[in-house]
Amino acid sequence: MAAAFACGGLLALAGALMQTLFRNPLAEPYLLGVSGGAGLLALLGMAAGLAWPWVSALAFAGSLLALALAAALGGRLLARDHTPLLLAGVMLAAGFGALIALVLSVAPAERLPGMLFFLMGDLAWTSNALMLWSALLLAVAAALGLSRRLDVLQLSPLKAASLGVAVAPTRWMLFTLAGACTALVVAQAGSIGFVGLMVPHALRKLGYAGHRVLLPACALAGGSLLVLADALARTVIEPRELPVGVLTALLGVPMMLWLLRKP
Amino acid sequence: MSLVAHQLSLQAGTRTLVNALDLALEPGEVLGILGANGAGKSTLLMVLAGLARPASGRVTLDGQPVADLPPLTRAQHIGLLPQGDEGGFFGSVADFVTLGRYPFGHAPGDLVPQLATWELTDLARRPLGTLSGGEHQRARLAQLAVQAPRIALLDEPLTHLDPAHQARLLAWARSEAEAGHAIALTLHDPNWAASHCDHLLFLYGDGRWQRGRPAELLTPDALEALYGLGSATLWRLQNRPVQPV
Repeated sequence: MAAAFACGGLLALAGALMQTLFRNPLAEPYLLGVSGGAGLLALLGMAAGLAWPWVSALAFAGSLLALALAAALGGRLLARDHTPLLLAGVMLAAGFGALIALVLSVAPAERLPGMLFFLMGDLAWTSNALMLWSALLLAVAAALGLSRRLDVLQLSPLKAASLGVAVAPTRWMLFTLAGACTALVVAQAGSIGFVGLMVPHALRKLGYAGHRVLLPACALAGGSLLVLADALARTVIEPRELPVGVLTALLGVPMMLWLLRKP
Repeated sequence: MSLVAHQLSLQAGTRTLVNALDLALEPGEVLGILGANGAGKSTLLMVLAGLARPASGRVTLDGQPVADLPPLTRAQHIGLLPQGDEGGFFGSVADFVTLGRYPFGHAPGDLVPQLATWELTDLARRPLGTLSGGEHQRARLAQLAVQAPRIALLDEPLTHLDPAHQARLLAWARSEAEAGHAIALTLHDPNWAASHCDHLLFLYGDGRWQRGRPAELLTPDALEALYGLGSATLWRLQNRPVQPV
């Protein structure tokens, strides 16, 4: 439960940061292939029969690999234009997706459920709540330190620069912070979907536009949503458990659609 | 106390847009920049603002190269109104206008007079994304106005504005000039340029440029040379409708 809160908070925070980085409400933590890179290496580890701590370490390494590739392939023009980074990340995510499908199609059948649970996101493996909580508190503090700059970064890069924000360094800080938050969660719980997309978007829709309020609100709301989803995942079809990623989407999609009705 | 360009050359790829431009933007001056699409007007404003490097030459503010100023210091003196691009902003009009105070730290200052000046008082709590084009442009101008820069560089500020708000922009520009601030703006309206600018800069897009008073520069032949054959038929420059305020 404590781990669930920290995971949800980190994902929602990372989502908010990605949306500000790309100036796009559809951006989310896995946009740049973090979950794909993590999923590929984790599945390879599982296929090889490695134990969880090794799979987790491989997932973390895969996330960092995906981020490094996206940065190397698309990061040159970040001061002016985020589109190359976005395209590189989306392409990498698609490539990782294909490789994951390949691994799934040739993996031994008895290992498939574990693999699918990892890909959908599952808190059953999560053991390191203290580490996740420390990461959440550090990340919120770091993001709050950037919050006024992030408000300005919502403007065009040129306007933000004219107001005195160093656009490229700030965008790289955002990229690093969002990437680190996401990689930590993915290595602990797989690719829990939807929290990182929906929570920041919904909070913005509700009028929390300034980052000084938005970012801590994301951490709280994302954490709460994941705790709720986790509790339901453990109870709805007792004694079996659902992957929590299924519940976040089942809870989140109707909430989001309801919010979209509002002008 | 002025922004000076020394032997400034601008390029787009290998094409020279502006060659060896010498320009001083003095306190109290309104400079109009005219040129065809792609002639380098926006690039020139970015370079003057210290946000892009020229191919050669330099820009100084009170003798200091603008490119070397710390970003916040620069933003306390030089403001830029780029062409519109507000896709990523989720907040209200008041939030948006407040961002103009960013270079001055935490105290947001009193927005009420500027919101009133730009007739945004009733729109202040609306999400920025719900405004019309002209209302949006007023919010962008109000954001620049609360920044209150000594040097204001405006890229096509007249875009989307109805005549009443074009007059509002004019009054703002004049009051800024009287307060000792300098303004450079790009525009495509020779009548506005003739009536309301102290000096004009013509950019021909091939390296050539001309600077002078509106009465010297704004002739039908000069406009045809600037914009292309037939363009002077759009204006009746001999009948200047308005005198400078």
